Amino acid sequence: MAGPLEFAPAIAALPFVSFVIALFFGRYMPKKGALAGITATGGSLLLAVWTYFAVMGNGEPHTEHLHTLVSVAEPFSLELGILIDQLSALMLLIVTLISFLVFVFSLGYMNDEGETGLPRYYAGLSLFSFSMLSFVMASNLFMAFMFFELVGLCSYLLIGFWFREDAPPSAAKKAFIVTRFGDYFFLIGVVGILATFGTSAFIGTGGTESFPALAEHALTGSADHVHTFGFDPQTWFTILALLVLGGVMGKSAQFPLHTWLPDAMEGPTPVSALIHAATMVAAGVYLVARMYGFYALSPTALAIIAFVGGFTALFAATMGVVKREIKQVLAYSTISQYGYMMLALGAGGYVAGVFHLTTHAVFKALLFLGAGAVIVAMHHDEDMWKMGGLKNELPVTYYTFLAGSLALAGIIPFSGFWSKDEVLYEALRLGLNDPVFMAAYAMGLIAVFFTGFYTFRMVFLTFHGEPRTNIAESPHQYGWNMKAPLVVLGALAVVVGLINMAPLAKLTGMDLTYLHHWFEHGGELLTVEHYHHLLTEVSGVHHVESSTGLMLGSGALSLGLALAGVAVAHVLYNVPSPEEHTDKLGSIKTVLFNNYYQDEYQVWLAEGLTANVARAANTFDQGVIDGAVNGVSSVSLFAGERVRKVQTGVVTNYAALLTAGLVVLLVAMGLLGGWF
Amino acid sequence: MLIELLIAVCLLGAVGVFLLPDRYAPRLSFGISVVAIAVSLYMFSAFDGAGNALLEGGKLAFETNAHWLSLGPYDLSWHVGLDGISMPLIVLSTILTSLAILSAWTPINERKSQFYGLMLLLEGSLIGVFGALDFFVWFIFWEAVLVPMYFLIGVWGGPRRKYAAIKFFVYTNVASLVMFVGFFLLVMGAGVTSLGLPELAQQLATGSVSSVGGLSPQQVKVAAFFAMFAGFAVKVPVVPVHTWLPDAHVEAPTPVSVILAGVLLKMGTYALLRFNFTLLPEVAADFALVLVAIAVVSVIYGALLALAQQDLKRIVAYSSVSSMGYVILGLVAFNLYGLGGATFQMISHGLISGLLFLCVGVIYNTTHTRMVGDMSGLADRMPITAGAMVAGSFAYMGLPLMSGFVAEFMVFSGGFSATFPHAQLLTAIAMFGIVIVAGYYLFAMQRTLFGSFRVATDYEITRAQPHDIAPLVVLIVLIIALGSAPELIFGMIQDAVTPMTELTHTQHAAMGSMELRDVVSTIGGVVR
Amino acid sequence: MIAAKYYLLLSAAVFCIGLFGILTRRNALIFLMSIELMLNAANINLVAFSAQHGNLSGQVFSLFTMALAAAEVAVGIGIILVLYRNFDDVDVTTATTMRW
Repeated sequence: MAGPLEFAPAIAALPFVSFVIALFFGRYMPKKGALAGITATGGSLLLAVWTYFAVMGNGEPHTEHLHTLVSVAEPFSLELGILIDQLSALMLLIVTLISFLVFVFSLGYMNDEGETGLPRYYAGLSLFSFSMLSFVMASNLFMAFMFFELVGLCSYLLIGFWFREDAPPSAAKKAFIVTRFGDYFFLIGVVGILATFGTSAFIGTGGTESFPALAEHALTGSADHVHTFGFDPQTWFTILALLVLGGVMGKSAQFPLHTWLPDAMEGPTPVSALIHAATMVAAGVYLVARMYGFYALSPTALAIIAFVGGFTALFAATMGVVKREIKQVLAYSTISQYGYMMLALGAGGYVAGVFHLTTHAVFKALLFLGAGAVIVAMHHDEDMWKMGGLKNELPVTYYTFLAGSLALAGIIPFSGFWSKDEVLYEALRLGLNDPVFMAAYAMGLIAVFFTGFYTFRMVFLTFHGEPRTNIAESPHQYGWNMKAPLVVLGALAVVVGLINMAPLAKLTGMDLTYLHHWFEHGGELLTVEHYHHLLTEVSGVHHVESSTGLMLGSGALSLGLALAGVAVAHVLYNVPSPEEHTDKLGSIKTVLFNNYYQDEYQVWLAEGLTANVARAANTFDQGVIDGAVNGVSSVSLFAGERVRKVQTGVVTNYAALLTAGLVVLLVAMGLLGGWF
Repeated sequence: MLIELLIAVCLLGAVGVFLLPDRYAPRLSFGISVVAIAVSLYMFSAFDGAGNALLEGGKLAFETNAHWLSLGPYDLSWHVGLDGISMPLIVLSTILTSLAILSAWTPINERKSQFYGLMLLLEGSLIGVFGALDFFVWFIFWEAVLVPMYFLIGVWGGPRRKYAAIKFFVYTNVASLVMFVGFFLLVMGAGVTSLGLPELAQQLATGSVSSVGGLSPQQVKVAAFFAMFAGFAVKVPVVPVHTWLPDAHVEAPTPVSVILAGVLLKMGTYALLRFNFTLLPEVAADFALVLVAIAVVSVIYGALLALAQQDLKRIVAYSSVSSMGYVILGLVAFNLYGLGGATFQMISHGLISGLLFLCVGVIYNTTHTRMVGDMSGLADRMPITAGAMVAGSFAYMGLPLMSGFVAEFMVFSGGFSATFPHAQLLTAIAMFGIVIVAGYYLFAMQRTLFGSFRVATDYEITRAQPHDIAPLVVLIVLIIALGSAPELIFGMIQDAVTPMTELTHTQHAAMGSMELRDVVSTIGGVVR
Repeated sequence: MIAAKYYLLLSAAVFCIGLFGILTRRNALIFLMSIELMLNAANINLVAFSAQHGNLSGQVFSLFTMALAAAEVAVGIGIILVLYRNFDDVDVTTATTMRW
């Protein structure tokens, strides 16, 4: 039975092949490895589509053991395997689609612009696709961690692609270290989960249970084979969940580990689109969704996720308001949107979180690619204040970018509206029962206004008004290879929201929540019903009963705020020659421009504190420890220097010493022998 | 007889290289080392050992056990043989020596016969250390390692080579003395007449220890444990007896640094595993907190020191201190993943630190500087070397699918499941090393490899020769192979450490019985 | 028969004279003479104990000592000659090149 799922490993393997080809043979190939990458990711895309329909067909999750890294009888083996279920099939589709489009876009952005080092670029992109797809397919947390780290490596290599300049390597280093700091907690979490449950499988196979299932059993009854190291199971599971959350916050750029993402914009724009908007940053959120059965057991962890998410959504949105570079605005908007996803997951809205992940992947990739197109048009100048009026010169880019912006701002009926609305609705339903979630909801809601504002400030500054520089008057034109991905994503950004139109379903009574149904199937313990069961029965997290009025009210509120944001942007910036209104903010502007001084204290932690401690340790090491070692040798040398003076060379002295020695000996013997 | 053959190839080869003129030395010694690799790989494929070499039920591969002579009350035998712990280490030694010899072709330009002869002598001694199972034989090789190393640092080293060589020699030699005393205390306590390590281990596992010279049996064990620990700790090295290492590394020529970090440090951890943790596991369990504190301090402190360095070699040297801390942590954890991970880390660190030293060496050969501040943007002119350095740095940071990740993950798993108090917290603290290590390697890479090209010294940057690049490629391939298929060697490692984990199953229950006052009284007893 | 202790006193006196000579004089030749005195002090002891114990071992030993003394003088004079050639002097305090 060679069904599509038999070929699932090939989804990841194809990009790996193209990685090898691009790395070793890329420089001899006509497009320096791009064609290999396009072929591979295209193949992966087809396979992912096939897989998606196969999963839709039989509904059962597919698991496959691939490779045993370390095999031991006790306590646990380290294994690699794949798990294809509703969630991973959807994510595979997203990742392969965006990878494919980004490869195509890169033909225009990199090859046509005459960049050097392209084999390295395409090898990095291919390696990223391989790692990301493997991460998505991972059947256990250990494997997920491995590829979580590998996508971090790819991110490092691609952010630092232009290594001859100063800023990209620095940004790459920062990105890796900040995410590494999160991964440190994640690693403890993985080790802890393995030590606690003896398995890190996401799904039970062949008689073994998954770790969320074991945790559930431990909380509801028998705690066999679960070592909680002296803690109460509930407490210990919360600790483990929060440790894993460390990695999530690093990768998904949640406060306070968000600082690397804006810097990561030093990388080529297609890389930003693929890695730092649509997929790698989603890895964190995906991981929470992947092991949602575990998070659902810990109300504390959920509350923290929701609160951090809500806070990040607002926090990042305010910073996006004042940025001058188009990619910076998008970077902060990415952080903000991932905050929404975290808010959804924390508030028990599993479907809402994944829904927003899906729509965001599409429209944010679109916006980044659109921004990339603008940047090419502007001869690699990213400052929005030097643009303006590009609408007429770059119509394809404008309309697709506009579609993405409307989606991002959450304007009905674009995709972002449906997903963001559902996120806020879930948070509100929980918030009405619990003030912590209410606070998280409130922050998310306020952020909607800022989102509408900064998005359309960006659109107006870039495309509307009068051209503010010569370049903007006659921008550089580009080919189909950049336009085609934009058109595809633009169309998707309009329609992808249709997969889950909860408010409309509520209003009309039609069955329009396809995504919700999608997640009702699959492995017994991986369905949305089961998660709901865990939330209500085990964790005691209760949503307010869903009602049409509440849903429409919530939707209208967020839509109204978004429109208000757009309207303000329209008034301020949709004029022929807009001014910088940010100065009116006074000292707030300074704070926002400096990103609330988040970078400062983190840089201080790294360079001020750690480096100084290291220097102090070095001084201590050289002075005290090595000083002691050298001291011992100096004392020996010094003593030897003194003692050797006895050797005078004068025979008489030797004789005198001999005599003295004899006398001392005699006297001593006399005293001890009792002669005297 | 294959171990003897391997040692003989190296030692006779060394004599041959010594006698021949300089111009033949590089190629001849490389050929000999390749023969050694071939022999060791054949041994690896034909390996039929099972269990632990020292413990009940261990079946040794390539064993020879012949009575040699009697010295005082002791019978000395020529006893060599391999188990799953020593076999990979021997392969590591042969491979790294060969690569080091290859990498010496460029930088070593004078007294070539002597240099390459000493390298082969070193290789033979190292193989002897890992192969010997009789203390007397082992000790001869253990000390014999120092002699070629002393000359290799002292003759071909940098400006302060004499200081470094003497420091290395005296430091490790004093440590050997302390260890020697500790070992004989244990031998006298156990009352054995053979210096064979398996005999001693089995005597200690089954019989009791008698008191020696006013020390109670427990005190004998504790004193012996700590004397041996102190002796081996210098070789590892752990904080605070690590300061010879950076000096030795900085002054040693690159090929020697490769051996020093790659294999020589493993002598210390290997001896700890063989002596302290196999012979006296219950003492190790009693003092687990002390030992794990040393491990954690080594990890964090070593990493912090690496962060403060400007010399690339010093960075790698201090990071070795940090990595060796993981080995100690794994040993103290004393479960399958702890011991197995520690052994795996020995191999993995040998390859990775070797790779990084080779990269630094290639950079030094072309730029004639190793200071971070003296160069930038090297990736522009030396793409392959820079790529290898990136690979090595990420391997050191524990990137998955490279051997360092598997090793560290196993050590952490072992530490986390260990039974000493606060095992989870202490392991978590030690794990913070992975963040700091990322800090200093990323920093070093950013400063040296990236940015605009600049070198402070006036040398023309040339492409590296194939014989400079080949060792880098070989090591990267090995690192990735072990990282993606650890079972290549972990099967035999697991087989050899599993019997050890059974040693303390009963003894762990008594853990914590040894309090500080016992330590004080033991020290008092030793002083008396 | 004279008691042995008087011989011992004599021998101690002779030994001390020799020792005194070595410690105070600087002429190498006088050193040699002083050493002869000390050797002869030992000889006196040997002979005296030989007489007291009534066997001849001590006397045999003293003959050996005399032979040794002769040899010593021969070598010693040779050394002094070399010393004189190198330092133009037989003063032992000038020949200090083998000190630290």
